Amino acid sequence: MPQTLRYGLAALIVLVILWGVWTLNAGGVADRPLAISLILGSAFGLVLQRSRFCFYCNLRDLVERREPAGVLAILVALAIGAIGYTAIFGAWLPTPAIERLPPTAHIGPVSLVLVGAALIFGLGMGISGSCLSAHFYRLGEGSPVAPFAIIGAAAGFGIGFYTWNELYLTFMQTAPSAWMPHALGYAGSLVLTLLLLAGLALLALWWGRPRAGEPLPPLTVSEAFRRLFVLRWPATFAGAAVGVISILAYFRVAPLGVTAELGSIVRTGAASLAVLPERLVGLDGFRGCATVIKEALLSNNGLFVLGLIFTAFASALIANQFTPRLPNVKDVFRGLAGGVLLGWGAMTALGCTVGVLLSGIHAGAVSGWVFLGFCALGAILSMPIGRRLETRSA
Amino acid sequence: MTALTPRLATLAGAIVIAGFSTAAIAQEGPLVTADWVLDNLNNENVRIFEVSTDVGVYERGHIPGAVNLHWHTDLVDTVRRDIVSAENFEAQLREAGVDEDTTIVLYGDNNNWFAAWGAWVFDIHGLGEVKLLDGGRKLWEEQGLPLDTATPEYVATEFALPESNTQLRARLSDVLEVVEGGAEVQLVDIRSPREYNGEIFAPEGVQELSIRAGHIPGAVNFPWGNAVNEDGTFKSADELKAAFAAIGIDGSQPIITYCRIGERSSHTWFVLSRILGYDVRNYDGSWTEYGNSVGVPIANPAGTVWGAL
Repeated sequence: MPQTLRYGLAALIVLVILWGVWTLNAGGVADRPLAISLILGSAFGLVLQRSRFCFYCNLRDLVERREPAGVLAILVALAIGAIGYTAIFGAWLPTPAIERLPPTAHIGPVSLVLVGAALIFGLGMGISGSCLSAHFYRLGEGSPVAPFAIIGAAAGFGIGFYTWNELYLTFMQTAPSAWMPHALGYAGSLVLTLLLLAGLALLALWWGRPRAGEPLPPLTVSEAFRRLFVLRWPATFAGAAVGVISILAYFRVAPLGVTAELGSIVRTGAASLAVLPERLVGLDGFRGCATVIKEALLSNNGLFVLGLIFTAFASALIANQFTPRLPNVKDVFRGLAGGVLLGWGAMTALGCTVGVLLSGIHAGAVSGWVFLGFCALGAILSMPIGRRLETRSA
Repeated sequence: MTALTPRLATLAGAIVIAGFSTAAIAQEGPLVTADWVLDNLNNENVRIFEVSTDVGVYERGHIPGAVNLHWHTDLVDTVRRDIVSAENFEAQLREAGVDEDTTIVLYGDNNNWFAAWGAWVFDIHGLGEVKLLDGGRKLWEEQGLPLDTATPEYVATEFALPESNTQLRARLSDVLEVVEGGAEVQLVDIRSPREYNGEIFAPEGVQELSIRAGHIPGAVNFPWGNAVNEDGTFKSADELKAAFAAIGIDGSQPIITYCRIGERSSHTWFVLSRILGYDVRNYDGSWTEYGNSVGVPIANPAGTVWGAL
């Protein structure tokens, strides 16, 4: 694609997003959170695309190529977000009283179902090649797998709704929404979180065999442009940026998550076709990427995801990383099969690597750590399958 | 304190405040304006409470110094269907630094819907002079007035609730006295016309919790939202008086308001009782109790049959 076309298209996307933000912001009190969601989604999409911030790929880089930078980016994001969340909690809920949870924070129920859902989600990541947030930004890079993974995930959500009632009644009804500050206080919870993250970082560095980076030329204007828009962002910077976006999102709108809108679309569609159980017991009472029957066209999460996809697209265009390819049978299969597992896991766990893992660990939720452990296990187990399904670009 | 009636107690409080406070003192009447609240943000004899329905709105920005009341845990009994007990309520007010001479102002989202319900709960517990911020959260935000995200902490008091005022509450038996016993009381159903007519069992997005549709015989319909202006403020007393007179509610007889669960009707209770000064009780059992009761008379103009195919 010629450079003028790439830059022109990217500029157009940026203008449309800015117009959207402007219009929503002028829409008054009720629409302002929508404008903020669109901005934050765009920022998130930019960071994901520019730094290749993908939970699965970063883990695989560490496990298979012994490259720790990506995993360190995730750990930095978790640490920064946990600090910011704690500061917000201190203002909103000065003492972590036993009967209270901070409003809207993703502190999910901890049960065997979460273990299973995280494991299945991890398998879905391995088979489809990424987690859901990464499929969204790869949509913007022209990935041949991502569209099928998202279609598969929608189907997975449908299956998740179908199995929900039984799982809820058997395992989750009495499951505790365990929150570390209840047991340890805010300081104790934050210190434990940071120690665990530091331990994981040491483990990654011990296992990793990082290669020396290319020496960078002096920082001129054109070099700054190249580092911002063409080269991959440094891991620690990307991690810090994700942490900051998460803090801002929680402070102004809601915890980060990328599956609520997808789930809501599926739930609304399925409800209107009357193919789901009429009542999903207890679902609307849990914290997490809540799926609701849609009443308005525009939602915070919908705009967040749209901003993410289109900014990733613009960013990929500028970096010349928009490389669409016609999907082959393998792409379709791994997208659909992995997507179904991702969708079922995300519905049943009440979110994905962003909504449960990231926003959960930021909030001091035990559910976030359980998801981290078992989704990583599932991903590592399925890496060999993913390798076989991969189509290497020539 | 218990020897004084609630009204006297508050009056006495107001006089005490007037003695040594330089800030503007409580406006007359049941409503205060946003400007008044703004002028009294630092007045330690004024305590503002937010009662909102949407989770997280208080934390992401509330009127500076306002204390949050969760309607579904703080203002109700979480086990049996009842409003909060005097004991629990008193403890919360003490923690919020409320004292005998405190002027209490409530506000909330959705046109003060649950704030008005809060006012009814406060009133039942003997705090009849509690005020609503006219326009509630909506107007405050639209005027771009300051919001705070920190949770305030106050020095706890030894406040004791005055005697409760249970006459503000109607029970099923009171309603049946009207319907079957012919008591001279007017019933006001403040639900939507479709609920009132029995076309639907519950509004959109709400579970159908009653197995009969329609309304209590003899009740007149006045959808609660008709009492507020576009900007969320209450209509003027004259407008409200005329609107209710048009459906035969003029205060000449005692009134009972009800809705589906008793919350929306608190808003109308506030209008009729506090703004117009009529004799009003709120029936918080409302349609989910009445419409499920065995053997009570029901008016169902639409004739909808529950469970019929």
